[in-house]
Amino acid sequence: MSTPQIAVKTKHLGAGSVWRRPTFVQWFIIVALLVVLEAATRTGLIVPTLMVPPSEILTRLASIVPTSEFAEDATRTLTTILFAFAIGVAVGIPLGVFLWRIPAAGRILEPFIVTGYAMPTLLFYPILLAVMGLNAGPIILIAATMSLIPIALTTMIALNSIKPILHKLANSVNASPAQYYLKVLFPAATPLVFPGIRLGFIYAVIGTIAMEFILAAQGIGFRAGLYYRELNVSDMWAYIVVVVVVSVVVNGVLTWLEKRIRRDML
Amino acid sequence: MSDVLGTSTTEQNNNVVFDRIGMTFQTDAGATQAVANVSGTIPDGKFVSVIGPSGCGKSTLLDMVGGILKPTQGSVSIDGELVTGPRRDTAMVFQEDSTLHWRSVLDNVAFGLEIQGVSKVDRNDRARRMIDLVGLRGFEDHRPGQLSGGMKQRVAIARALAVEPRVLLMDEPFGALDQQTRQFIGRELLRIWERTQNRVLFITHDIQEAVYLSDEVWVMSARPSIVKEIVNIDLPRPRPEGTHALPRFRELEEHLWNLVKVEAEKTLGPGALLA
Repeated sequence: MSTPQIAVKTKHLGAGSVWRRPTFVQWFIIVALLVVLEAATRTGLIVPTLMVPPSEILTRLASIVPTSEFAEDATRTLTTILFAFAIGVAVGIPLGVFLWRIPAAGRILEPFIVTGYAMPTLLFYPILLAVMGLNAGPIILIAATMSLIPIALTTMIALNSIKPILHKLANSVNASPAQYYLKVLFPAATPLVFPGIRLGFIYAVIGTIAMEFILAAQGIGFRAGLYYRELNVSDMWAYIVVVVVVSVVVNGVLTWLEKRIRRDML
Repeated sequence: MSDVLGTSTTEQNNNVVFDRIGMTFQTDAGATQAVANVSGTIPDGKFVSVIGPSGCGKSTLLDMVGGILKPTQGSVSIDGELVTGPRRDTAMVFQEDSTLHWRSVLDNVAFGLEIQGVSKVDRNDRARRMIDLVGLRGFEDHRPGQLSGGMKQRVAIARALAVEPRVLLMDEPFGALDQQTRQFIGRELLRIWERTQNRVLFITHDIQEAVYLSDEVWVMSARPSIVKEIVNIDLPRPRPEGTHALPRFRELEEHLWNLVKVEAEKTLGPGALLA
């Protein structure tokens, strides 16, 4: 007799209540947070040297975004991220395939790669700057390294988890190596590799912004760092908001892509 | 042996011939002989089942005909040609689900043809006919994930049939199915086979299934395996539903069971089956 109880429970919140919709609650949290921050900064609960009211950040943003300086910074940062990510994919996937294909190499190299994963690679940034100079090169190199590690590891794990029967099937129909990879291995592995690719992209973003923040000649992270050091709180927050917006948009695109791929593949 | 190879060339041209075939695996523990000295012939249009105790190398035998395992002794030839690798005129069906979960039923059935380079129009046309044949019409656009275990096995059978194999190799294809589905699909397979008339090599450990489906049942011994006896199944075809109840069916089943029991006891130890 559990059915009537469930009916009562549902009635409690109201079947059609907006509070049952996650997106509504999520937007509510964002708006509430903005209102609280606005109030806290305006009343002096949060001092102006830490944060200015969100409304003020928005007005700063409105005057920053149309400038050519912003366009150049944004272009620099986005191209750096894309370069780093492209290298991460182009190196990470073949590396993962190699680690899977030659298990002995996998066993030898895996600890190094996992360590690379855990290590704050950006500590090598100053050395690379000294070697390569103050350009996008060192940033791309480090962000690409950070990006390729999760991609390589998930590729290896995904390929290892493919059912042996699929190898046997490909063998029995006499598939060529190219057909084997393109028609069996990659489609079978894709849903499992995708979370690694997504993580690789996030690492490329984090690596790029963080290194620009430390030292760079241009870029969104560089501006945020510059205004931080100049104690220009409102402009610093304006650039932080840009980073947040970029992350949210990118994450949204990746989530959508992942859902699509999973729907098509599973 | 040599006179068989020498005198009956014409007959051999339409046969699958095992010539003293053997398989020895090298493992860490040393060499294990899975199959030893198996000779035999599957004549054109015949349905042959292989039964034997578990681990007796039934699947190994099948893999060697399919060209995915190279025998370490002897050879297999199909219609006079030596098997050196996977061939276009053989097709395999496995016990495990081997459907490609990201492909529709249609694309799964067309997979073998796609690998062979058959054009999209032709392969879809042939795949659709096979889907009809295995009774999956209306499911062309479904994904394997939406199908039952029995339906997935039909997809695998349709995929194998689509390449129009001259030899169909089935490795316990109904082993993972429940008893009802198993009997039902077994009847379907017979109906399809009666139409296509290709040779079937069917591995099973279900004696009833072997008797019901086959023209010949090969009983394999415990390791190292040889074909201990070839039992001719002289039941009339077509075999309707009541076939299982015929006295001759019972006789054959009992005879096979006695043969297998002796071998199983060798593997498991005497008296193991009485416990």
